[in-house]
Amino acid sequence: MGHEASKAIRWGLFTTTVLAVLIVVGSRNLAHFDAALVGYTFATLFAVFGITYRYVMWLQRPPTALYWRRGWQVFLDRRYLLGNLRVLVWRLLAVFASNNFIWRRGRKRWAAHWLIMWGCVLAALITFPLVFGWVHFDMPAGDFEHYVVYVLGFPTMTFPVEGVLAFLVFHGLVWAALLVIPGVMIAMHRRMRDHGAGAVQQFGEDFLPLILLFAISVTGLMLTASYTWMRGYAFDFLAILHAIAVILTLLWLPFGKFFHILQRPAQIGVAFYRDIGGRAGLAACARCGQEYATRMQIDDLIEVERRLGYRYELGDGQADHYQRVCPQCRRAMLAIAQGMLWSSARGPVVEPMFDIATMMSPQQER
Amino acid sequence: MTSVVNERSTMEAFGPHRAYASGLRLASGVEPDRVVNTHCCFCGQQCGIQLKVKDNEVVGFEPWTDFPFNRGMLCPKGVKRYLQGAHPDRLLRAYQRDTTASSGFAPLAYDQAIHRVAEAIGRIQQAHGDDAFAVLTGASLTTEKAYLVGKFARVCLRTANIDYNGRLCMVSAAAGNKKAFGIDRAANPWEDILPAEVVWISGANVAECAPITTEYVWQARENGARIIVVDPRITPIARTCDLFLPVKPGRDVALFNGVLHLMITHGWVDETFVARSTVGFEAVAEHVRAWTPARTAEVTGVPESAIRQAAEWWGTAQTSFLMHARGIEHHSHGVQNVLGAINIVLASGRIGRPGCGYATITGQGNGQGGREHGQKCDQLPGARDISNPEHRAHVARVWGVEPESLPGAGVDAYEIFRKIDKGEIRGLLSICFNPKVSLPDNNFITRALEKLDFYVAIDFFLNETARHADVVLPGSLHEEDEGVVTQVEGRVIKINKAVECPGDARQDWRIIQDIAGALGRPHGFTFDGPRAIFDELRAASQGGVADYSGITYEKIERQFGVFWPCPSEDHPGTPRLFESGSWNPVARGTGPFYFPDGKARFNVAAYTPPAEDTDADYPLMLTTGRVVSQFLSGTQTRRIGPLVDQYPEPRIEMHPQLADRLAVRDGDWVTAETRRGDCTLRALVVTTIRPDTVFIPYHWPGRKSANQLTIAAQDPISKIPEYKVCAVRLRKAAAAPDHAVLEPQQG
Amino acid sequence: MPVAANTEFFIDPSRCIGCQACVQACEECDTHRGHAMIHLEYIERAQSTQTTPVVCMHCDSPTCAEVCPADAIKRTADGVVQSARKPRCIACSNCVLACPFGVPKMKSEFELMMKCDMCYDRTSVGKKPMCATVCPSQALHFGTREEVERLRPRAQPVNRFRFGQQWITTKVNMMAPAAPPAYIDVTAAMHAGPTGRRYALPVVGAGASG
Repeated sequence: MGHEASKAIRWGLFTTTVLAVLIVVGSRNLAHFDAALVGYTFATLFAVFGITYRYVMWLQRPPTALYWRRGWQVFLDRRYLLGNLRVLVWRLLAVFASNNFIWRRGRKRWAAHWLIMWGCVLAALITFPLVFGWVHFDMPAGDFEHYVVYVLGFPTMTFPVEGVLAFLVFHGLVWAALLVIPGVMIAMHRRMRDHGAGAVQQFGEDFLPLILLFAISVTGLMLTASYTWMRGYAFDFLAILHAIAVILTLLWLPFGKFFHILQRPAQIGVAFYRDIGGRAGLAACARCGQEYATRMQIDDLIEVERRLGYRYELGDGQADHYQRVCPQCRRAMLAIAQGMLWSSARGPVVEPMFDIATMMSPQQER
Repeated sequence: MTSVVNERSTMEAFGPHRAYASGLRLASGVEPDRVVNTHCCFCGQQCGIQLKVKDNEVVGFEPWTDFPFNRGMLCPKGVKRYLQGAHPDRLLRAYQRDTTASSGFAPLAYDQAIHRVAEAIGRIQQAHGDDAFAVLTGASLTTEKAYLVGKFARVCLRTANIDYNGRLCMVSAAAGNKKAFGIDRAANPWEDILPAEVVWISGANVAECAPITTEYVWQARENGARIIVVDPRITPIARTCDLFLPVKPGRDVALFNGVLHLMITHGWVDETFVARSTVGFEAVAEHVRAWTPARTAEVTGVPESAIRQAAEWWGTAQTSFLMHARGIEHHSHGVQNVLGAINIVLASGRIGRPGCGYATITGQGNGQGGREHGQKCDQLPGARDISNPEHRAHVARVWGVEPESLPGAGVDAYEIFRKIDKGEIRGLLSICFNPKVSLPDNNFITRALEKLDFYVAIDFFLNETARHADVVLPGSLHEEDEGVVTQVEGRVIKINKAVECPGDARQDWRIIQDIAGALGRPHGFTFDGPRAIFDELRAASQGGVADYSGITYEKIERQFGVFWPCPSEDHPGTPRLFESGSWNPVARGTGPFYFPDGKARFNVAAYTPPAEDTDADYPLMLTTGRVVSQFLSGTQTRRIGPLVDQYPEPRIEMHPQLADRLAVRDGDWVTAETRRGDCTLRALVVTTIRPDTVFIPYHWPGRKSANQLTIAAQDPISKIPEYKVCAVRLRKAAAAPDHAVLEPQQG
Repeated sequence: MPVAANTEFFIDPSRCIGCQACVQACEECDTHRGHAMIHLEYIERAQSTQTTPVVCMHCDSPTCAEVCPADAIKRTADGVVQSARKPRCIACSNCVLACPFGVPKMKSEFELMMKCDMCYDRTSVGKKPMCATVCPSQALHFGTREEVERLRPRAQPVNRFRFGQQWITTKVNMMAPAAPPAYIDVTAAMHAGPTGRRYALPVVGAGASG
């Protein structure tokens, strides 16, 4: 425990410090840092610590560690790197951008996830740089018609205040909320109606994240409504509500379902592991001879199981380890082993013996 | 008559297509509008099941764990039966043959269709006599429908020629039971299997054809029972049974005689029971004297040691249950096989007591009830005899007709086709029967169908036979009507309606009454529902052996079924037959059995070889049967996707010794050929069948049909066809057959 | 709600008749609607009619969960090893290959491992799993220990399995003869063929062993 945890703490402190430094530098010694957002900043710093801690702890689990190491190894393998990069782009588009695998699990599920995901991505891209003071908007001196976008303190693009672009940019969080809210509604509806989901869902794991996202989106929209149409009615109160929702979400990031956002990229690595492992050779079952997995994965699993303390070693001439038996044979062996106990308990069965030669007279044979 | 011109286009329009769960049936959050307690629509086990209904569609099922027979258990057919409703192939309106239509059929208004049918019936009967119009029915109909169709044939059409597909199923057992016990019903409820010391299973692939019975057999074994299985194939229950007798197809009676021989020589006969409660033992004992173990072994192909062991276990048991099914009944001497089985039961004296039982395993859903109430060519309701003047008088009185107006006994289902072939029968109405797939030597059936002047089929899907029809009337699915059926144990149970008929389709009893009305003879065909029909049926069966008069729908619901005979409303029903003091209108207290003297009959059960034995030209035996995922001619189950996928196409099961001789490997195309036809299917090479025997399941139509090969030899008493053995030869096929391009469920 | 502590799963493959009612019914369960999680294996159809249903045995310390790099497999407090958590599973197949009983299924189209969760939608509300409810041979039986002891006096439920040097204890029981050993040595069947009866071939040396 001690070793893994202290390593994780060290990494956590390190990433938190790095982010803090980046905030200071990126906001030009806090010149562009909005003090009103300091709560968000500290919540983010805490989240980064927590996420790093959990991530490092996760990476130290034997299967994850091996998979992590092997994943980079096969990805960076010079012989395949170019092809891997091509696959990577395609996988990012298919898996990340379009969530194709969720589409196949169910349309409703896909719609919910895709809307929430893109809503959150959009919101994160807008919010974090603003909070950290990495991006800010300013009007050129004497010009009330245009905005200049400053990134890390450097002026970049300029656009008119009254233009469509300005409208789109300054309502970015509105658009994000309008993606997230329907997504949350669909997900909630599914969770409340679907018997299968109902059986296994937990409040903290499955409902709380949806409630938090909903709270952020709705309070955010109310802020917009307040200053756009209601002359700032209850704006301060709403701002506090919104801040509470966001900060709770940030604090919750390392613990709950949101953590999958950081774990998930591992999915991209599976294809490389399988493809390149396959090129290195397939494992044939020690019992039936059928190929059933890549040899690399079987050897890795044997290694992982050893490290986890399993002793599936066999003293068998044909196989050194139970891992070399395919799943189908394992299922059959269980039944045969149980059947053997019953055969010996009940005594041997009468086995009728026939010879086709004795069953047909000679002239019947053809 | 028009032939089936383009079967592919017909199949495109009417199927069989495979249905899978989709929409509401695949969603996991559907709250059903209601859940209906009913039963499975397939075999004679009639498992209780709950159907979930939403928006007038059966969207799923829930096991009905309270129903005592199956306690929630179901086979794969029961699990997926809900997919038969809302099916793309469902007939939603009437059709008539139209050779200009690509599918071969054009839609027709329902009333016009009924009018056409009535007109054709009138024309044929006027020109050729009443008997020239025949009716073929089925044992999957509710008892109310079976009763009404029987009455319709006798009273409205006045034709003697009505018979049903139970002719392919239950008749050998029925005839044997009547000869020996005077009553045709399973003698015991299934709970009597549990305390049996020996369970003897002859010719019954329990695991695939009556799956729920497996649990009873295994539970008996947990209690210490020994299981004896007699079969040419090592079926799933034969794999681990205590004693397996690998009988040569068609030799069952020899085996029973050999066992009785050993029982007599070892003094294992219950002399007291035989003397007090039976007659005819001496003649049977004399007959089986010649059936020495050596001769029995030679004829049956079962090792002598196994025969001796079986006889010893059977002979010395204190309790036992013997059951058999089509394996011993589908023979040209099926009744003799059944009598042979009954003889060893009677000699043991183990019947009519708890744990002492005997039964045939009913095949069809209403195989029992369907044969008791008047769709069998020689029976009137209440299992009454159509040639018995007293019986005729009773039924005529209930029907409000003169006894003389009732026709006499007609001919059996196969004979009806012979009469069609000869031109004696010119018109046919069929319901719930697919003889083009299910009758033996079915190329003959196809030729006969084409000779009909007029053929009307009532069905919910256009089955293969109905493709020959001039008019097709859209009938009702199981879940679209209510009524009773009688399951394997003799328990009368209630089918409940879950949904309304779609489109122009309607309940079959309405269709029959509409035809009667159009014929101008509505008298006796104006029932307003199954309950009214059932009430008349109760009266018609009163005083008969199959007495239903004390059974009501309410009592069935209350008691989870009522075992007949049930002669009055305060009578609880009769789960176990032949108990002293149990109700018996024939013996009237003289004894437990249904004869005037109350005694059971031993019958000499003579062995004769199969109608077509092997010879130099056809050196192998072909036997046919079922697979667990399909049912009978497959009209329903070949339309349920997951069931088709489980066992997509028929294969020829053969032993590797035989396969080696033919240079055939598993999966190769093999042609099986008999004197009646040939059939090319893939081989299934397994050591679980006798090397001299091949097996083909029969659920498929056309060129995949096993019944192209089977022989139309029939038992002289029961008229059951000999599906279970004929001579065949095999050869490796040079190429894949034409049917290989069809979808698996088509043929 | 957790699965009631007094109801357990008892499996007896020697009763199995291969009818696949369990497979067909498994698809009807709400936690994995349309997908059968149970396996129905023909041991070696050419030689035998022996078949066996395989459901998750719900190990006390599940190998599948421990070898999962994504930490996606969780065992609930009632001892049920749940299907992979959808947000986490990365479809690497480690669990499929490591499970000593061969239970998890990789649904590659979903990039998701799915497995038998003892019909959690049913067992967590006091119903029996779908497969055990319908199973016509009761090779799959779900009920109380008292019930199974009364119904099957010649058998004993065991939940210890041996794989080489490894012992695995499970929540699900398998029925063994009521005599020692009170465990099942799975790898003892490494070179065995189907059990039960078959027509013996007359040629010496032909046919499988066991």
